[in-house]
Amino acid sequence: MSIVVGVDPAHRSASALHLAGMLARSSGTSLVVAAIVPPAWPATAGGADAEWRGYTRDAADSTLDHAAAVLGGSIAAEYLVYEAPSARRGLNSLAEEREAGLIVVGSAAQARQGRIALGAESDALLHASPVPVAVAPRGYRVAEGSRVSRVTAAYRGTGASAGLVLGAAAVSATLGAALRIASFAVVPPDSGTSGAGLDAETAIADTWAADIEKHATSLARRVTQLDRAPVVSGVAVGRGETWEAALAAVEWEPNEVLVVGSSTLGPLSRVFLGSHAAKIVRHSPVPVVVVPHGVATRDRE
Amino acid sequence: MPTIAQQLLRRKPTTPPEVEDGQLKRSIGLFSLTMIGVGGTLGTGIFFILSQAVPVAGPAVIWSFVIGGVVAGLTALCYAEMAGAVPASGSTYSYAYATLGEGTAMAVGACLLLEYGVSTAAVAVGWSQYVNQLLQNLFGWQLPVQLSQAPEQGGIVNIPAVIVIVLCSLLLLRGARESTTVNSIMVIVKIAVVLFFCAVAFTGWNADHFHNFAPAGFAGIVGGAGIIFFSFVGLDAVSTAGEEAKNAKRNLPLAIIFALVIIVLLYVLTCLAALGAQAPEKFANQDAGLAAILQNIIGSAWPGTIVAIGAIISIFSVTLVVLYGQTRILFAMSRDGMIPPVFAKVNPRSMTPVRNTVIVMIATSILAAVIPIDFLAEMTSIGTLVAFLVVSLGVIILRVREPELERGFRLPLGWTIPILSIAGCIAIITQLRVITIVVFLIWTAAFLVFYWFYGRTHSKLQAGRPAVDAEAPYTSNFAQPSKSEIREAAARRRAGRK
Repeated sequence: MSIVVGVDPAHRSASALHLAGMLARSSGTSLVVAAIVPPAWPATAGGADAEWRGYTRDAADSTLDHAAAVLGGSIAAEYLVYEAPSARRGLNSLAEEREAGLIVVGSAAQARQGRIALGAESDALLHASPVPVAVAPRGYRVAEGSRVSRVTAAYRGTGASAGLVLGAAAVSATLGAALRIASFAVVPPDSGTSGAGLDAETAIADTWAADIEKHATSLARRVTQLDRAPVVSGVAVGRGETWEAALAAVEWEPNEVLVVGSSTLGPLSRVFLGSHAAKIVRHSPVPVVVVPHGVATRDRE
Repeated sequence: MPTIAQQLLRRKPTTPPEVEDGQLKRSIGLFSLTMIGVGGTLGTGIFFILSQAVPVAGPAVIWSFVIGGVVAGLTALCYAEMAGAVPASGSTYSYAYATLGEGTAMAVGACLLLEYGVSTAAVAVGWSQYVNQLLQNLFGWQLPVQLSQAPEQGGIVNIPAVIVIVLCSLLLLRGARESTTVNSIMVIVKIAVVLFFCAVAFTGWNADHFHNFAPAGFAGIVGGAGIIFFSFVGLDAVSTAGEEAKNAKRNLPLAIIFALVIIVLLYVLTCLAALGAQAPEKFANQDAGLAAILQNIIGSAWPGTIVAIGAIISIFSVTLVVLYGQTRILFAMSRDGMIPPVFAKVNPRSMTPVRNTVIVMIATSILAAVIPIDFLAEMTSIGTLVAFLVVSLGVIILRVREPELERGFRLPLGWTIPILSIAGCIAIITQLRVITIVVFLIWTAAFLVFYWFYGRTHSKLQAGRPAVDAEAPYTSNFAQPSKSEIREAAARRRAGRK
């Protein structure tokens, strides 16, 4: 088991490395830090391509130097320049080669500080990865030597997401972190024209929250009966008029990680973000691990 | 065990919703309140109700609209006082339960099923007429009468009406609901369509059509008001926003009056234009009335097509809103234990009451498929009128029983407005067809029988079952001592002092 970290050869970003470092420290695994570069044409005339090839490799190399400086000496890590037509394919095949359990990437540059945006590459990666993908918010930093304090599993009350929670329990046991089960709901304001009262939706949300809490609590009890049971730190329900508010409605620890499941609609064992998960990812204040549908259950067996 | 009287009169304790830190309390201004009123009301009836009302009232249907509007306005004002006495937002059912007791709340619930469930079916049938008109205009083809009319009118089943209900239900199942922005857009669309109709129809003005102004006399006018009252359904929505209104004492009545004036003006204008353009006797059995009138006077299809498109959009949004209201009212009733718990089940994935919505969808689809629109419209009217009547009565009862209760808004002129409102409702109800009144009585009786055997014992307020989330009753749940009791107590004290 190792963790593959994708660094962009064109940018020096430390957020993915900080997240990967914390995860590696917590789980005691090693890192494979990879800069994916496009393959050059084999032996073209005039050597023009060789020059370009040299340039990209040099650039990638200096990014890896930067990465090594960020990670410091305390974490076992391997640094390599990896050739692949796209970052998505490179990270996927590297993860397969090294039998990695997780891929870590950074957020796209258009994200606000502290938030996650998926760029073309990370979005494609999420759609194709057979292993969980962790995405660090833009500008994510952790203190030196810090470990994951708590893993929050996003729970929707469906059978598939119950599997995800149990998967997240295994992850938090590996990381030595506590597990929290959280659900989020958006209750937008009503126009009031229906005559059912402006609080009609609040009553629905109350019932929903009560149901979810009951299910989540019984799930939490199941988690404590697992072989490698993590500490369960409770159940939270976040509600708000927007996703932003719903996610802000629960408290977050500094070294927390949020685990969301991919949609059950996508092909089996592939990460495919549902509309809710996509919004949770976009508004999460902490790093997010997206687990492909099917992986959570597979790990348990 | 509580006695039967206690069961029938027990009231649901309500505590005001807590305002959490950092969460701003919604505050709705005068303009938005008016928009809620106009958006909730406009479009329920005006697109198709003339075909039913003109044969009854003749050109005097204009006065029917004014009378209907005045009665609706009076009841909406009463409703505002009632709503203001309960420190939470809800439907008429919730207000009745909190102020008048469980038995009355159940009767109101029966009326609301008509005001919402049956009116869903009615507007869906109106929608089907415009869809057919649009198909005819665009493709020169329309659904055969067997598939687009109720059996009584020569068809078998009304397919488009079922389709619109299913479409709206699917949206609701996915968690869609009308936002304030969508409501504002819909208000503009509706007003634009109505004004467009008037502008074109006035070009075909013929004063001769008003010749025999009130063929059925005053009774006809009031009878017409009974039919068109349906098009004022939704005005009460303003009152449900009372708790959130900025400066409710001033804005709530103003918003109701403004909304009412806008709506009555638009309705009367539409009537004038329609009657000026088409002789009264041609209204009977005319489908997609407004579009058909334009086509007849212009002689080309495009104005009718525009009106048909506008009507299809606005009626669709109305269907969505009314269907939504119905599911949420049933949800509230189910949570209180009045009807089976299946209506209060929430699907965790979509966060909507799925079973509730599906049941409502099936029931209203069946109504829309096989029952003609005039009967549906009258049933909606009577349900609404009785619900309004109960609310007006409730205002008086509450003033006698709880004179000190703090109200967000108190009607001026003492009992005048509630009494006028009650009289207006009764006057209109008596002019409805006998069959409508009989069916209504049977329906309400059936509902109350159901309450007797189910809700009475399953109520969350039944002994030993404290109300959810309620810290204390906000009004005294027990009768105040009577005057004779007070006199006796005074006598006892005086005797003690001697």
